[in-house]
Amino acid sequence: MSSATRTSTFLKNVLLNGVGRYVCQLQRVTLQFCKNRGDSKEMRDFIEKDLVDFARNNPGIVVYLQPKRHKRPYFRAEYLNGAKIDFAADNYTRDELGRWLQHLRTRSGVQIQRLRKPYHTDYVSIQGEWTPFTNLPTELNVTEFPNEELSRVVNRQPTATQLVLEMAEKQRVRSSESDGTVSGKLQSDT
Amino acid sequence: MATSIGWRLLQKSYWQSFYCLSHNLTFKKSSLVFTRGFQKWQRPAFQQLYLRSEKALPEEEKPRSAAYNWNRKCEIYAFGKRLGEEFEQDVLQQAFIHKSYVEKEYAERQELGIAEDAEGLQIEHNETLIAEGNSLMESHIKSFLRDHYPHFPEEGISVMHDFLTSDVILEYIGNNIGMRDLILSKDFPPSVQCVKETFMAVIGALQRSQGDVRAKLFVQDFVLTQLLQQDMNELWKLVNPMGILRTILEKQGKGLPEPRLLRSTGSSTVVACYLVGIYSDKKLIGQAPGETVTIAEEMAAQDALRGIFKTRTNHTAIDSIAKHRELNTDPTKRNPLLTELCEQFKEQTSIHVS
Repeated sequence: MSSATRTSTFLKNVLLNGVGRYVCQLQRVTLQFCKNRGDSKEMRDFIEKDLVDFARNNPGIVVYLQPKRHKRPYFRAEYLNGAKIDFAADNYTRDELGRWLQHLRTRSGVQIQRLRKPYHTDYVSIQGEWTPFTNLPTELNVTEFPNEELSRVVNRQPTATQLVLEMAEKQRVRSSESDGTVSGKLQSDT
Repeated sequence: MATSIGWRLLQKSYWQSFYCLSHNLTFKKSSLVFTRGFQKWQRPAFQQLYLRSEKALPEEEKPRSAAYNWNRKCEIYAFGKRLGEEFEQDVLQQAFIHKSYVEKEYAERQELGIAEDAEGLQIEHNETLIAEGNSLMESHIKSFLRDHYPHFPEEGISVMHDFLTSDVILEYIGNNIGMRDLILSKDFPPSVQCVKETFMAVIGALQRSQGDVRAKLFVQDFVLTQLLQQDMNELWKLVNPMGILRTILEKQGKGLPEPRLLRSTGSSTVVACYLVGIYSDKKLIGQAPGETVTIAEEMAAQDALRGIFKTRTNHTAIDSIAKHRELNTDPTKRNPLLTELCEQFKEQTSIHVS
């Protein structure tokens, strides 16, 4: 699947989170597991040993436990913007489960899509947007066109004749400095 | 092959169909039998049943509290903690109970023959909390804006406050904080007005639990930040800006505004652009482009007024909202009224200040 077939979005933030204060976007998480099934074993260990610490450290997240007979273990997360994310967690190790919970805690409910730009701003320009009049001299307002002065060809690079004349001048200055002796040879660039 | 009795059994509900599909049940001679693999007819048949049942009786949106993984006490506690505040739980509970819910409860109790204020069954609604929250929100928003835009007229401040406390904005904030699942009101989903009022009640509850300072910071972090995505100059529409500018400059004893054409391009085309500048005492006080000279002149007058009110850029608000934590704004201070600045235009600026 190429990026052309998948949807893409611009960078979004829920309710300008972080500008005023940071609010954890995860509202509640439900851990579904089976009390008997083997693929829930690590999940059961996680619940016994690590989950209470997680709940204590995150008082803003409501943690629900849903034992369901003969069903595979599941994460069901609900976010403040109404998004619901769920996925199966069969045979995930205790460490993996902790990491997935951490991932759920730190993301927002915004759908994970390719970002067209990794930045967003409401202020398009700080110095002022370019207009066709920016940096144009105001003298143009009172200039009659066609204008001879402005129509002149401007040589930004020196011509070959000018270069040779410059070199000759340099040599003359150098030779006049060194006790008036005149050197017949044109000196190569030093 | 499925019999007619079997089809009627299947038609009972979507969930029954799903049960059959998930458990690979099929009909063989009018009795349910387990088969291996899905039968070819099952998927399209159950899909049709589902689509038709949805069309006939679309599934109503149920409140989150209807699910069995719901604990109201925990949810309300988490709501407070998530926002980084220490609420008094009783007051916060009260903040979510709308008056319409209490009325509905009382009506039900009457039907059942229970006394309205039976012991242990008393419910208090959030009407006083709404009033308290609303007044604190209004006073803080206005004093914050007055502090940051001291030259902006009072009418403009009112308009900005009305925008920030409009139904749309407060409902949007309330829903994205997680209030939607907690509100107790007569109808579900709660109306826009109900969500807006509950948000105000939460501010009132915070004021009661933790005092004015924390409640004001709450308003700052959630309500005032909504200004950042909105150009404040677009909110307040001024009629006859040139007239207002002339009167203000006259009162200030400065030179009367003289509009001059600064730039023009494409005059004979459809996409003409004229840049008009307003001069006062031979100094440029405002400039703006426009499709025609008249439009450009009006825009330039508005730009000049923005220069006088010092509201050209919104950027200062960003730093302030995050850093301005001292809250030493004077609540009694008022900005100059536009009607005072230009008395003869009282009829035209028809915005009343509360």
